[in-house]
Amino acid sequence: MTATARMAMLDLRTIAPYHYQSLFAFGASVLVFGGKPVWLLPGLVLIFSAQIAPFPFRVADKAGLETLYGVLPVRRRSVVYGHYLWAVAVFLATATAGTALALLLAWAESVPFGGRTLLTMLALSWATYSVNIAIQFPVLIRFGYTSGSVLGTTLPLAVIIGTLYKTHLTVASMQDWIALVAVVGLVVFAASAALAVTADRRRMRHRANWRTA
Amino acid sequence: MSSDLAFALRGVGAVVGRNFALRDVSFELPTGYVMGLVGANGAGKTTIIRCLLGLREIDTGEIELLGHRVPAPADLRQDVGVVLDHAFLVGDWRLTEVERALRPFYPRWDGARYRQLLDEFGLDLRAKVKDLSRGMSMKLMIAVALSHQARLLLFDEPTSGLDPVARDELAGIIGDFLLDEGHSVLYSTHITADLDRIGDYVTLVHNGRIVRTGTKDEILDAYRVVRGGPDDLSGLVGVELIGARRTSSGTEALVRTEEADLLGGDVLVEAPTLEAIAVHIGARAPRPEPRPLSTGRIA
Repeated sequence: MTATARMAMLDLRTIAPYHYQSLFAFGASVLVFGGKPVWLLPGLVLIFSAQIAPFPFRVADKAGLETLYGVLPVRRRSVVYGHYLWAVAVFLATATAGTALALLLAWAESVPFGGRTLLTMLALSWATYSVNIAIQFPVLIRFGYTSGSVLGTTLPLAVIIGTLYKTHLTVASMQDWIALVAVVGLVVFAASAALAVTADRRRMRHRANWRTA
Repeated sequence: MSSDLAFALRGVGAVVGRNFALRDVSFELPTGYVMGLVGANGAGKTTIIRCLLGLREIDTGEIELLGHRVPAPADLRQDVGVVLDHAFLVGDWRLTEVERALRPFYPRWDGARYRQLLDEFGLDLRAKVKDLSRGMSMKLMIAVALSHQARLLLFDEPTSGLDPVARDELAGIIGDFLLDEGHSVLYSTHITADLDRIGDYVTLVHNGRIVRTGTKDEILDAYRVVRGGPDDLSGLVGVELIGARRTSSGTEALVRTEEADLLGGDVLVEAPTLEAIAVHIGARAPRPEPRPLSTGRIA
């Protein structure tokens, strides 16, 4: 296992004691969007995944895990990339479970849910999620969860809602741009990871002692 | 780089914020010994440890850690265990989960040793980190460090807040750790009594500077505590009174041993304890404003 993968696993372990809360959030999201199977996946990603992915930052802030990251035999770069790999894993897990649930609900409710619509929803979910994480993670890495969470959560939502409002995107119009939407998400995600490494370096320079880590 | 040294700092300087800097910090610890890093709160002990681990960039000088120049390869941290007075772990982890979380990072992790140490320390595997007392948290971190077979233990103020029994236990644990000649310990503290039992070397830190470093006996031999009447210790030439405490009944201060001979016969001269040395050095002039360090950044 690479150092980045080990760090992603550590993020999973970090939130593992709180799995009941995570399952509750997942169930609540399903209840909210279950009536519209087509929108279940983007809804789950926007509400559930976007809350779970930064959850390790919240626990880390409370527990002083920055000190742990500092003494583990891994490079800082791997710590940062580990958070991003964790975010990808959260998306993949949500997408897998969400897709299966959406198809099941669509079948049960006799809602038409074709392959192209599914692909569009997957691409839309990935794009909104990647923009969300791309803005949120560098802020959390630079300022920590306590100081950065308000900006980190509101800014991406404003960007996503503003973009959807300005471009008047609909499911039908997006079907022609599936690949582009997915690639844009990937590029934004990768650029954010690179930016986060710089943000982390700046934060490390400004850390004064163990406890403010 | 010398393989006989657990670590060495040579001319290290680092500006920390606006009001503090390490300046020309130089000291070293031979492998197989315990060094006490002694200084008041804010003297720079934690900053030195952070520099040693490569967690803080230095502006001047160089640092050697276990034969490697810092910043060293990240893998080298497998050989270093860090123990603070609290556990920097998720509070809701049980001690079994601590092992599950950390084991992937350490190829030499010994799970049987971890469980054996927890058992020896009286720690329940099912206990949660947040429910451990300070002393138990510290023991947990020692168990973690010994389970990944660290060669160098760095303790940062481990005994602040511990009762005497727990401090005595810690001394015993460190003694056992040092049975292996390849093991070394750096022990930062302002409670000097701990070092009377386990310290081989002592480094005195004050305002980001090293005041003196050497074996414990050398440090004790280097100073004398002097006491005199209100006029006995005033107007002396060639004698620096370190951390002089003046009361209406007299004055007490620390002087360098070679300067003690210059004092008059009315002055009482005594061998100091480590605590007396630390107290008087800590009472010296207030922290100076740092100036920018001129030489190039190397770490």
